[in-house]
Amino acid sequence: MKQLNTTKNEQSLNWVGKRVKRIDGPEKVTGELKYMTDLHFDNMVWGKVLRAKYPHAKIKSIHTLNAEKLPGVVCILTHKDIPGFNGFGIVIPDQPVLCSNIVRCTGDAICLVAAESEEIAERALELIDVEYELLEVVTDAEKAMTASAPQLHPDGNIHSHVKIKNGNTEEAFIEANIIVENTFYSPRQMHAFIETEGGWSVMDADGFITIHCPGQYAHRDRMQIARALAYNPERIRVISSPIGGAFGGKDEITVQIYLALLAMHTNGRPVKIHLSREESVIAGIKRHPFKVHMKTAAKKDGTLIANEVRAVADTGAYASLGGAVIALAIEHSCGPYKIPNVNLEGFCVYTNNGISGAFRGFGVNQVCMGIETHLDMIAERLNMDKVEIRKKNVYHQGEISSLGHIVKSSVGTFKTLELAENCDLWKNRRQYKSAVSEPWKKRGVALATSFHGIGMGIGLPDYGAASIEILSDGKFLVAVGCEEIGGGNSTAYAQVAAEILNCDINNIKVVQGDTSRTLDGGTVTASRSTYTGGRAVATAAPNMVKLLTNTAAELLNVPPSKIEVLPNCLNANGKVVNYQTIYQYLFEHHRSTRVEGHFILPKEKVEIEGSGGAPHHLYGYLTHVVMVEVDTLTGETDVLRVVSIPDAGKVINPQGLEGQAEGGAVMGIGYTLYEDVVIENGFHKTRNFTDYIIPTIRETPLIETFPVEDTPEESGPFGAKGIGEVVMIPIIAAIMSAIYDATGARIYHLPATPERIFNALKELKKQNVYSSR
Amino acid sequence: MLVSEIEVVTPATLKECLTMIANEDMNTRLIAGGTDAVVRMKEGKWRPSTWVNIKGLRELRYIIEKDGAIHIGPLTTHTDIIKSSLLQKKANVLVEASREVGAIQMQNVGTIGGNIGTASPAGDTLPALYVLNTVLELSTRNSKRIVPIEEFFTGPGRTILKKNEMITNIIVQPHGENEIGIFQKLGPRKAQSISIVNVAISLLMEKDRQVLSGKIAFGSVAPTIIRAKKCESILTLHPLTDEMIQNVAKVAWKEVMPITDVRATAEYRRDMASSLLERGLYRLMRRWENK
Ligand SMILES: Cc1cc2nc3c(=O)[nH]c(=O)nc-3n(C[C@H](O)[C@H](O)[C@H](O)COP(=O)(O)OP(=O)(O)OC[C@H]3O[C@@H](n4cnc5c(N)ncnc54)[C@H](O)[C@@H]3O)c2cc1C
Repeated sequence: MKQLNTTKNEQSLNWVGKRVKRIDGPEKVTGELKYMTDLHFDNMVWGKVLRAKYPHAKIKSIHTLNAEKLPGVVCILTHKDIPGFNGFGIVIPDQPVLCSNIVRCTGDAICLVAAESEEIAERALELIDVEYELLEVVTDAEKAMTASAPQLHPDGNIHSHVKIKNGNTEEAFIEANIIVENTFYSPRQMHAFIETEGGWSVMDADGFITIHCPGQYAHRDRMQIARALAYNPERIRVISSPIGGAFGGKDEITVQIYLALLAMHTNGRPVKIHLSREESVIAGIKRHPFKVHMKTAAKKDGTLIANEVRAVADTGAYASLGGAVIALAIEHSCGPYKIPNVNLEGFCVYTNNGISGAFRGFGVNQVCMGIETHLDMIAERLNMDKVEIRKKNVYHQGEISSLGHIVKSSVGTFKTLELAENCDLWKNRRQYKSAVSEPWKKRGVALATSFHGIGMGIGLPDYGAASIEILSDGKFLVAVGCEEIGGGNSTAYAQVAAEILNCDINNIKVVQGDTSRTLDGGTVTASRSTYTGGRAVATAAPNMVKLLTNTAAELLNVPPSKIEVLPNCLNANGKVVNYQTIYQYLFEHHRSTRVEGHFILPKEKVEIEGSGGAPHHLYGYLTHVVMVEVDTLTGETDVLRVVSIPDAGKVINPQGLEGQAEGGAVMGIGYTLYEDVVIENGFHKTRNFTDYIIPTIRETPLIETFPVEDTPEESGPFGAKGIGEVVMIPIIAAIMSAIYDATGARIYHLPATPERIFNALKELKKQNVYSSR
Repeated sequence: MLVSEIEVVTPATLKECLTMIANEDMNTRLIAGGTDAVVRMKEGKWRPSTWVNIKGLRELRYIIEKDGAIHIGPLTTHTDIIKSSLLQKKANVLVEASREVGAIQMQNVGTIGGNIGTASPAGDTLPALYVLNTVLELSTRNSKRIVPIEEFFTGPGRTILKKNEMITNIIVQPHGENEIGIFQKLGPRKAQSISIVNVAISLLMEKDRQVLSGKIAFGSVAPTIIRAKKCESILTLHPLTDEMIQNVAKVAWKEVMPITDVRATAEYRRDMASSLLERGLYRLMRRWENK
């Protein structure tokens, strides 16, 4: 990969690497920003979705007549009103837009209603009569894989099966001095964004449809909408920003197609859908619950020699990104280690349990808890230091990973472990642990490390694109497809642009997530948007510098080589040209005021057979150290301190990195201790935030972030790479191990609720009584 | 009843309010802070034809000492209770309970009358009111009656309150010189959570760790709040050493009859009745010794 001509040395950087305030901060903090679902217009009508009454049933008939007769109802649509293909799904479109003959989960949509008010729309839903014939409900992924289970899709219940084999595990297990083997269960986490799924749309008199709906890839959403509508995508505009949080939950189509369909039937009036929290719980995408069976072997000296993994992911009724999730899980199931013999296998399985899809971490969360717990167990049996065993087994740049490929990009694990070892919490852990406030409380300190691929795997095109336009007021409009989902990429783009254009950051405006105003630059997922979008901006910006230079040269009648790019202006022989003048000149001469930058992500050339896209070329790495306090009387666990040590390459914005590290840590705490969407027999037991427990500020500990920066990634903008997901991963295993360190009880089933911890302690007490007899 | 069809009336005085709810033709329900009422309305459970909005009735918002008792107006918010130096000094167990209701936002608008009116077995101020020997004044337009709190609830969400009646005064017995109390709550997290189990304890101490008499009330482990009478009688047998505390706590397990729901299993609730009692008594003894 060619070195960017824009890499300046540290001292000369004005914006990159500096604590720059979020450009979208003030309006979000003050509440001034209006999300698209906040908007209301006088002539707006309300859209509502009729969901399935049962998790698995045949639809015998749908009667809408009574509902149609209700005063105030504008239209009622069924599958018959879909002009194009009745399905959606990022990888395979197996989810019906509106079900016609079968429902496979209670989130399934059957009818759409538009009405003068929300209440009338709700009333209309009640008046629609759907006759069902109940079918057997598939509630368990393991059972779904057996021959006797009802088949939910034509190709059976196994949506995907991935496998990676390297070396010879059977021999290694015979050679091994230590083998640990366990099964881990992980919860169905909800994204719990502040803004539930929703948006509005309108069709103009010429039939042009505009959809205002938060998403994570407007250009792809448009294609999915066009397919269902059998409509020219050029006649559809999708505006996907601003967004009240996404975390992967708005990667798939949410309500965009419903909005578009309704807009075709409301006589040009805008139509809005906004899911209630209850509906979002049922119909929104969740994190895949996994069952992970793992068997890990080591030699006496702590060298890992084999790992066997079997992971089963419950994708619910439809695939969405389930196949990619299980593939990424398997790719990461051995941790950032070099284990010579591995036998890894993953299944993504259909059930009638809602729908699972993309979520920050994308399968890695569920396997990290296995391998990291095993490392601790092995270290304990060998009486070996927990940092030492990891240092011994991590791969370094240029070494062969467990998957058998040479890791060519930067690898920071070792450095993060060194930093962890020397941080105050780890060094003084004995002292901290003894400082409990009450005699029945126990403290534990533990660490874990993990990694996460950046960008798409092999087999998926992965590119970035950005444009920069000079505006009449002399400002630059930086346009990137990747949406601002709250991670702070807009500020990163502004920093990169300001740095290269040599202007003040206030001179940069950023527009994102709009098919009419931004180029297609891929998703805001896969920890890729700062890296990819930032690199695309860094590719476009020199073109703008060239345009400015050439124009200034023309204006001043000097050769371009005489032009100096100064802060906020250009200069030749003491004559200064400002940006407004340049715009004016271009405008008067009918010349383009816009430049573009395109970038293709570096990829590995050879795919590991059967892996579903592994390996990635690039990974971000991170080590977490945590301290917990367990109340042994109740099982309540407090995370008291977190140290987050990311290897993000060059940090574009330390404040932004801390935001990610802190938010990720809290999300990881929620995953480990509190969160689960409980579904029984296909019906949701969890209704809303009354019983879906996410951490509040009182569950938020002191979180310190110490980035490792001496491994810049050459291909990234100024040496940056992605960090948006790994920030929530190792903390999961670290908390689990810290609970063990505190109490001696291991929890294999998350979330580690007070009840689960208490019961594990009870069990431990029984065993101790028994063994001391 | 659609939400948009529900009327809201706002009486200016208590008298006006009592007249409104006396109207047989109107399907009314009181709304104070609305932190339970609005949630239940949204769920479709409480849809009266008219909300009687009493939030502004200043005359029902007070905390005063009178004839050896403390009178608390039903419109007193949890924040009022938390900030009251009178209650901090003489009924701290109630202050601690109010501090555990939701979080600051809920405490600022939620009222004690509403907490009682909702009659949830998990209502956090209720066990505290039990151990403070609370009596409620219930008024209609032309009558008043006084009912001990233990007789007020008939089941989850159910009370003896008649349609034309409302709570107008909450009278608690303050703690004397040698009386101490504590409230303990276990929820799925520290704030904004419904109790899995809660307990209020009030002890009259003799000297050292000897208890003269004690009251223990559990929430969330039975259809209404319940007193743990066996534990209460065992409390006085021996000085409350750490070992004795454990013995008393074990008995709590037998006094409760919880159910399983999304938040916890019955078995865990049972165990937690013991744990919270143990934790509470331990902390209370620490406080007593540091007094
Ligand atoms: C996010 C959240 C968290 C919460 N957390 C907790 C918690 O931790 N612990 C807890 O105990 N509760 C909790 N609650 C419930 C609620 O906040 C409390 O019960 C509060 O005290 C209710 O008071 P209110 O004034 O809002 O009652 P309202 O909602 O106004 O009324 C509740 C009921 O009481 C009746 N009522 C009100 N005043 C009177 C009166 N004077 N006479 C007769 N009936 C009357 C009303 O008719 C209604 O039926 C929570 C609620 C929310 C929304």
